[in-house]
Parts: sequence; C-alpha cells; structure tokens
Amino acid sequence: MAPLIYSALIISLGLGTTMTFASTHWYLAWMGIEINTLAIIPLMAQNHIPRAIEATTKYFFVQATASATLLFAGISNAFLTGQWNITYTPYTLTSTLITLALAMKIGLAPLHSWMPEVMQGLNLLTGLILSTWQKLAPLYLIYQIQPNNPNIFIALGLMSIIVGGWGGFNQVQLRKILAYSSIAHLGWMILILSFSPPLALLTIIIYILMTFSLFSSFMLTRTTHINSLSTTWAKIPILTISTPLILLSLGGLPPLTGFMPKWMILQELTKQSLCPLATMAALSSLFSLYFYLRLSYAMTLTMPPNNPAGTLPWRLNPQHNTLPLALTTTSTICLLPMTPAIMSLMPF
Amino acid sequence: MSYMMYILLFGLVLGLVAIASNPSPYFAALGLVVVAGVGCGVLVGSGGCFLSLILFLIYLGGMLVVFAYSAAMAAEPYPEGWGSWPTLRLMVGYVLGVGVAWGLLGGGWYEEDWGGFDGLVGESVLRGDVVGVSVMYSSGGWLLIGGGWVLLLTLFVVLELTRGLSRGALRAV
Repeated sequence: MAPLIYSALIISLGLGTTMTFASTHWYLAWMGIEINTLAIIPLMAQNHIPRAIEATTKYFFVQATASATLLFAGISNAFLTGQWNITYTPYTLTSTLITLALAMKIGLAPLHSWMPEVMQGLNLLTGLILSTWQKLAPLYLIYQIQPNNPNIFIALGLMSIIVGGWGGFNQVQLRKILAYSSIAHLGWMILILSFSPPLALLTIIIYILMTFSLFSSFMLTRTTHINSLSTTWAKIPILTISTPLILLSLGGLPPLTGFMPKWMILQELTKQSLCPLATMAALSSLFSLYFYLRLSYAMTLTMPPNNPAGTLPWRLNPQHNTLPLALTTTSTICLLPMTPAIMSLMPF
Repeated sequence: MSYMMYILLFGLVLGLVAIASNPSPYFAALGLVVVAGVGCGVLVGSGGCFLSLILFLIYLGGMLVVFAYSAAMAAEPYPEGWGSWPTLRLMVGYVLGVGVAWGLLGGGWYEEDWGGFDGLVGESVLRGDVVGVSVMYSSGGWLLIGGGWVLLLTLFVVLELTRGLSRGALRAV
C-alpha cells in the first residue's frame, strides 16, 4: 500500500481509540469506534485477494450492525435520562443493548461467529491489530457502563470461555485458533468485569502481551497452518522452545504469566461466593488448553516428514526487528513472580 | 398537528417495511426516498427545520442520488418489486410484526406529549439545530476538525478499496 495512505490509516486507528478513550459523550465515543472500523477496512483488504475481501465485507457488516445498535442505545439512553454521559445508564434496557452491541464489536459469544472467518482471511499483522487494538475502545466503553445487574456479563463471559475453547477443537488453521483464543480470553475478562475492574484490566493487558508474542512468532516464520508450524523447527530452532511456552501461557498454566489473570479471577469469584461459576470457567478453559497443547505438540514434540532440503535451511542474518518479539515473549513467560507488584499497579 | 405527526410516522414505518422486505435496489431506493421525506416531515413537526433541510439536501440530494446512479449501473432486466411473492411475503410478515408490536406497546398513543426538539424553549428563529451548528464552528472547533478528518478518511478508504478497478478489490469473482 502507498506509504501516505498507510500512515493516514494507522493514524486514524490511533485517533479513533484515543477519541473513545477521551470522551464522555456517547456521540464522540461512537464516532471513535466508527473511525476505527473505517480505518481498518483498507488494511484488511490491502492484498486484494478474494478471501481478504470476503473477510473485510463480513467485518464491515458486523461492525456496522453493532455500531448502529450502539448509537440507537446511546440515543435511547439520552432520551430516557436526558443527558449524554456514558457513565450514567440507569435503565436496564439501554445498558443491556449497549453491552450486546459492544459484545458484537469485540466478538464475545454468542455474537462471535464472524470472528474466526474474518481472522482467517487476513494476514497475520492485520489479524494482530484486529485482536488487540480494535478491542480496546469497546472494552473501555463496556467498563464504563457499570450496569446494576452483573448477570449479562457473567452469561457473556461464561459462554465465551466455553465457545472459545470448544470452537477451537477441530481447527488446523492458526488464525482461526487465534480467533477462538481471543474469544476465550475476552470471556475471562468480561466475566470479572462487574466484580473487579482492575482484574479485567490485568486480564486484557496480559492477553495483549501473550497474543502479541504468539502473533510475532507466527509472523517470523510466516506460518498459518499446523502443517507449516510443524516444520519450523529447522528454520528457527529457538522458536521451538519459546512458542510452546507462549502457548502454555495462553492456556493458563503456572508458572507462566498466563496463570496470573486466571488465578486472580478465580480467587475473586470465590470471594464473591460464586464457586460453581469459577469451577465451570476453570474447567471450560481446559478446552483451550487442549488445542494449545496440540500446537506445542506439533511444533516441538514431533518431527514431521520433510524432504532433506527442508531440514537444513540456510541460517541467514535476521532482517526483522526482534525487539518486540523478545520483550513480549519474556513477559509472557517470566512475569508470574511479579504478581503482587502488578496487582498493586492496577488502579481502578 | 398530532394527527399530522402520526400520519408521517405511519408512512415512516410502512416505508421501512417496504425497504426491509428486500426488493430490487431501485425499489429499495424509492422506499428510502419516501422514508427520508416523511422523516424530514417528522423533524419539521418537532421543530428541527434546519436539520430537515440539511437531511433533504445531503441525504436525498447527495447520497441517495449517487446510490441511484450506482444502482443504475448494475441494471437488471426484471427487477423484483413488491409484487413478487418473496418480497410480498416478507412485507406481509413485517406488517404483521409491526401490528403485534403496536398491540403490545402502543397503548396510550393518544395521550402522550411529543415534546419539542430542544425542550420547552419556545418559538424562535434560533432553534436547537441551528445553534448547534454555530456552536460547532465556535467552541466545538475540535469536533469540526475531527468530523472533517473522518469525512476525508472515508474518502481515502473508498479510494483505496477501489484502487486498481478490475485488478483490485472490485474484480468480478
């Protein structure tokens, strides 16, 4: 893509999220979300292949529907309460409608069906932007609604954890697996949102770190399928050590960082006397662990058949920037002992 | 006056039903014209005359005209109107749905007060919508710049998506 238009779109992506973060008026918050949607559309369609155009079209339809619902809910709230402040949503009707519209925007179950198909059509960098940056603005709005009744958040969260795990079972395409992983992690996040917003912030930050490192590892070897993942041991052997650890961290195993949000969330749910819910959430995340383990198995624990030329490639100097991958991988693997420090840093 | 508003709103809902029943784009655009027209009438009745005029100009006279020309380029010999059975059955279904919703939620329609566009300010030349536009040029300057940037961004997005014509995203696949 031409550099000028590319930078205009990236700047607009930043502008949209900033506008939503900085606003207290429903109209400006909605405007920021629309800017994000608009700006990412050409980024998704940039290589012009039919699959990418299909993903772009599906994404546009879903986001337009959700934006229209969000605007309708915001205006209804303004009609009923007489003011446009985001934080004042005393009526269950409007707060539920806002929550559902934003849930459709970020791909929570049962409004998640578009997520794997859209992610499948994109290249890995755009998929990364979709799973991390595009989630921030709607999540901030969901956090600010503060409904009276946490039931809808619990329902969305638990359904997303189950669907995110169960849906990824039979997938061999890595981008679809990453989409289901996103659904599951956002489910954990929204589960705890009404009980402890600092924990939700912790979950989303840790999720962004983990998924960034996984996407970067996949971008390094340009793998999008388990088949190509299993032959990357010869290309960059160090990845066969780091990627399984990242995957197990996503699955939430101690002593890796991914255990931190799940641990804190289960503790908070237990403190709120919601032990059956905590049990169901923990057991449902075993589904996700299954396919993360399968990816680690394919990558590290097996040596699939390959022609001899594929087992000994040239080790050239890396042309890419390794700093983001290094930073995020280290934080994905080593941050669990810093749990008390991180918890004290979460302000709200 | 209330009866005028109710007739306009009746036309609005019927027009929406006509669009939602999925006819060919020509007829759907006709439905959109009707909906926008009566919507402008509703706006005038509520006191937002400037907004109504802007809606006519920009929406009908700008966007819908462009859409009509684009739809004309995708011409088909037998466009499906509201006489064809699939569209008609959808329309009947939606009308029944509207009737059900009216029966459940429509009580007290004759005793509600509509309120004005900008509360109980009263009759004046400077209504809420005109003052809003002027505020956008004065203390809401950043919103004007932001709004202008969004429109420019939309233009860039459309140009980027259609770049390359048949070699780009618009090829016939």
